[in-house]
Amino acid sequence: MSDMNPVIRWFHQLGSPPYFDRFAARWAPWGYGVGAVVMAWGVYGALFQVPADYQQGDSFRILYIHVPAAWMSLLVFALMALYSAIALIWRIKLCEILAMACAPIGAAFTAVTLATGSIWGKPMWGTWWDWDPRLTSQLVLLFLYLGVIGLYHAIDDRRTAARAAGLLALVGVVMLPVIRYSVVWWNSLHQGQTIRVFGESSMDPSMLPPLVWMLVGTKLWFAGSLLARARADNLQREAGKDWVRRMAGAGT
Amino acid sequence: MSYREYVIAAYAVFAVMLAWDYLAPRFAIARQLRAARRLAARRAARPDTPDRSTELGR
Repeated sequence: MSDMNPVIRWFHQLGSPPYFDRFAARWAPWGYGVGAVVMAWGVYGALFQVPADYQQGDSFRILYIHVPAAWMSLLVFALMALYSAIALIWRIKLCEILAMACAPIGAAFTAVTLATGSIWGKPMWGTWWDWDPRLTSQLVLLFLYLGVIGLYHAIDDRRTAARAAGLLALVGVVMLPVIRYSVVWWNSLHQGQTIRVFGESSMDPSMLPPLVWMLVGTKLWFAGSLLARARADNLQREAGKDWVRRMAGAGT
Repeated sequence: MSYREYVIAAYAVFAVMLAWDYLAPRFAIARQLRAARRLAARRAARPDTPDRSTELGR
């Protein structure tokens, strides 16, 4: 053990429930805090610094929450599937916990994506909803998230529940390319890709900085939320163990 | 600002989601710690040396 690479040793330590509890308790507030500050700066820029769009007016400012939420909805699902795959293959309990902690956060971001898209769609498209490929596939993603959450809570044994829900998460990954390319594969009311990580975006550069802040902020916030939710699940699974009683008695 | 109501509604939805995402795990952790303290109190209230012979003698 003493010859082990420090990074690998740290991963082994993190798998210990008491160690993970201390780690999550320490770092979750930082994720929330720094994420909130970065997002606050992004929202300030989105609402007060960038000029109104010449066609959409101020309604385009909704994209500064719609786009980061949409990216998060896909990223969190991919991460949930990755954790689930690791948990299913190597039976690592912490990965089960992390995978299941992803689900409510991803569902919330998906719901925000749909709600803000709908709010933007009413003045721009003249309708709250359309059975458009992008909108419909995003709605299916929300149902998949709800399916994972429901399955995890429908089975009493936590480990069996996580394996079943993790399998659904893995199957659901098929939806991610469908959502991503839905605006390319089908005639869609939803606009095509305007923002590219690699290559030039078709959005004016003066409008980009708040979006970048929001994209970074949502990821930091997610890290905080993931740790906090995983900590709660870890404590529930470890209920009755001495370390939980000692820690609770210490006035945490 | 044009479309002010729509912009406010969208940002309000986002703020509500963030508030929920912050509070829900905090409440869940507090619930687990409360349950752990209750369990510790119950165990502390038990007599230190239970009469095992009586239990086994039934």
